[in-house]
Amino acid sequence: MFKIYQRFWQVTWAEQWQYRANLLMYLLYWLVSPIVYLAIWVTIAHAQGSVSGLTANDFITYYLTLLVVDQFTSEITIHILAYKIQDGTLSGDLLRPVHPILTGALVNNIASKVLNLLAFIPIWILLFLLFRPDYSSVTSGSILLAVPGVLTGFVLDFLLGAIITCMAFWTTRVYSISQFSNLVVILLSGQFVPLQLMPPVVQQVAGYLPFQMFTFVPVEVALNRLPMAALLRDYAAGLLWLVILYILFRWIWREGVKRFSSVGA
Amino acid sequence: MHTLRLLSAFFKVNLQMTLAYRVDTAVNLLLEILTLAWELLSLEIIFSNTTTLGGWNLGELLTLLGVFHLVNALMNILVWPSTDAFNTAVRDGTFDYTLLQPADSMFLVTFSRMVIWRVWDLVLGAVLIVIGFHMSNLNATLPHLLSFLLLAATGSLILYSLWIVLIAATFWFTKFDNNVTILQALLDTGRYPSTIYPFWLRIIITFLIPIAVATTVPVQALRGELTFTQVLIFFGVSAASFLVASRVWKAGVKKYSGASS
Amino acid sequence: MTDTIQVDHLTKTYQVSEREGGFGAAVRGFFHRKFRDVHAVQQVSFKIEAGEVVGFLGPNGAGKTTTLKMLSGLLHPTSGKARVLGFTPWERKPLFLQSMTLVMGQRSRLSWDIPAADSFLLNQAIYRIPDTDFQRTLKELDQLLELTPILKKPVRNLSLGERMKVELAAGLLHRPKVLFLDEPTIGLDITAQVRIRDFLREYNHRTGATILLTSHYMADVTALCERIIIIHHGLLKYDGSIVDLSRRIAPFKLIGVALGDPCPCDLSRYGTPVAAGRDEEGDGYKQYVQVKASEVAAITARMLAELPIHDLTIEDPPIESVIERAFQE
Repeated sequence: MFKIYQRFWQVTWAEQWQYRANLLMYLLYWLVSPIVYLAIWVTIAHAQGSVSGLTANDFITYYLTLLVVDQFTSEITIHILAYKIQDGTLSGDLLRPVHPILTGALVNNIASKVLNLLAFIPIWILLFLLFRPDYSSVTSGSILLAVPGVLTGFVLDFLLGAIITCMAFWTTRVYSISQFSNLVVILLSGQFVPLQLMPPVVQQVAGYLPFQMFTFVPVEVALNRLPMAALLRDYAAGLLWLVILYILFRWIWREGVKRFSSVGA
Repeated sequence: MHTLRLLSAFFKVNLQMTLAYRVDTAVNLLLEILTLAWELLSLEIIFSNTTTLGGWNLGELLTLLGVFHLVNALMNILVWPSTDAFNTAVRDGTFDYTLLQPADSMFLVTFSRMVIWRVWDLVLGAVLIVIGFHMSNLNATLPHLLSFLLLAATGSLILYSLWIVLIAATFWFTKFDNNVTILQALLDTGRYPSTIYPFWLRIIITFLIPIAVATTVPVQALRGELTFTQVLIFFGVSAASFLVASRVWKAGVKKYSGASS
Repeated sequence: MTDTIQVDHLTKTYQVSEREGGFGAAVRGFFHRKFRDVHAVQQVSFKIEAGEVVGFLGPNGAGKTTTLKMLSGLLHPTSGKARVLGFTPWERKPLFLQSMTLVMGQRSRLSWDIPAADSFLLNQAIYRIPDTDFQRTLKELDQLLELTPILKKPVRNLSLGERMKVELAAGLLHRPKVLFLDEPTIGLDITAQVRIRDFLREYNHRTGATILLTSHYMADVTALCERIIIIHHGLLKYDGSIVDLSRRIAPFKLIGVALGDPCPCDLSRYGTPVAAGRDEEGDGYKQYVQVKASEVAAITARMLAELPIHDLTIEDPPIESVIERAFQE
């Protein structure tokens, strides 16, 4: 069993390595928005002293940590598989004894992350030097506590991405659906702004949804800003969502493959 | 004039392609509306926590958003589609046909592919500018308004010239598939005034990939922040950049045709 | 009368970077690039008069396409001169571009998603063709090529043969005086090939346009051209009439036999044995002998009588061997 993963890893890593030239470009693409948001809130915080109790430094630490957390929790499954569903080549993957998403896309995502990290680390260090954040609130304990949050966040994001990719079994508009989902997620996951600054109604809603585990919760835990009670509640909610999304995914995948196989390539 | 005739011919052909894919157009329009809602919502969130952003009020930010939409429209109607078409044509050799035609190749590469339905973004941009200006309580004089319009046009011209240089690079560096990614990546910075960004980012988007020149600068003119000399300088830089881009393009085509010098 | 096309010692040499495999070579290659000269076209000279239809033959990589690209202005030569209709092609003067056309059989100039008719209108705008001329030319082309049924369909939905027809038509809307055609019949089935050849012949008669076409199908050339130019390894090997060429090389055919019983037998008493090989469809083992065309019937009869033959074919030798053979003496 392990052998399969190992072999898969080797092949996928080799594939990803080919794309290393694009790496820097796409990293750049992905970095710009958080830095823009950071600039907005730091500007306001500097002008007013603080925003809803958050100082300029709070925002800087938030977004810099967000960059790290996002590296770990983001996923790209739609770019790996959607086209295969659309042009029929998924049949090749279905014939192999590994699950195209739970093994294939998963390993692909991880390989891509490892590759991205190589370029990301020096860039993040550069940003650290440019912004000079005060990380004194962070302890080794808070980072350790954040790790399960990051893992959960990744699995949740991965499952959500997988479910959206499955839409390709029924429609050609899967990329539009993904775009729309991204817009929603940016607001509710804390990627645009820490959730404390959202209108109270939105904060309430975000508390019940899995998206906050992608970014907001792990970041706040790492920064030692989440009281233990809230942390436990959010992690429990995350686990619950994990079960829900997993069941949902398995069902949609089964239905999708059924449809795919009956329709033909 | 022949150029206009050619433009309208391209327009007709591309309009037909848009009309051929009706459902796609409808879905895309929906996504556009949702994106606009998102943009307005994010502005709302910002301004529920403050009254100004870097000294700019909500009205001024809406105007800036409108200018951003004009620039974005240019990108979506012309730049991104033409980049794809150009990269494909160079890769499969059909770019030769472009060179065989008795018309300027830079003109052909720019206008032969247009995504017409994105004209909506131009309309949206104009509407946002008008609404934003009204909300902003700016006492703009006629010279301010005129320099705003001038700099909005010339700002886009600078970005266009940059784009020409980026894709012309393919003539020298053949595997340059990511020629415009950096432009795409940095474009989003144009939504907010460049004055709020850290110094190094401001330098990059003003002098290197001059997105701020196309978005922030025109609104600065509207706010009366620019002197007459500065307006003149921006105008001059824009004209110069266009000339440089044409030269680079011509040199690139010569390289592509294997000319020795 | 000055010639329509004049080529004088035209040469094109490419520099290709050379790299061996292996890690050491890759590292060395990073610091010091070695280049190798590829002589695509070497000192080629010829003259073509107005109205001629000339075939430009040669195996793949011989230099045909490169020559055509230089004559149409797409490539600058390394040295040498050329004049087409009085212009130097690579200066790409608008008047030159409006008087000639290049159609490449393997590359499409038309937009795939819209009907050909609309691409034609676009061409009309680009080439500044007045409406009356445009309508007249279109009608003529329609007559010759039977375009009416296919003009309104998106190019994507056309068959290969239909696509070639509209490609040609698109290239002729501006009534060019010189036509450069690069492999116009490649990939087409026999009926389509014949149709295209008939059209070109008729077009040349009606308009007096000069046609230079490349092909590696002998049939294209025998059907259309009185004169052929053979180019091989970038060098001009032959420039003259077809009649003279076939007199030069004694015509011959290849007889391919699949024999039962473990052979290979020695077939040298029937003709010159040529490399044997597996035949393409069956799993037989085919042997080929080369014989003079005039003797084919007699030798075939002998072989059928004397050998245990399961399958027999009579084929034209590939053009490469004709050319090789022609210049081996």
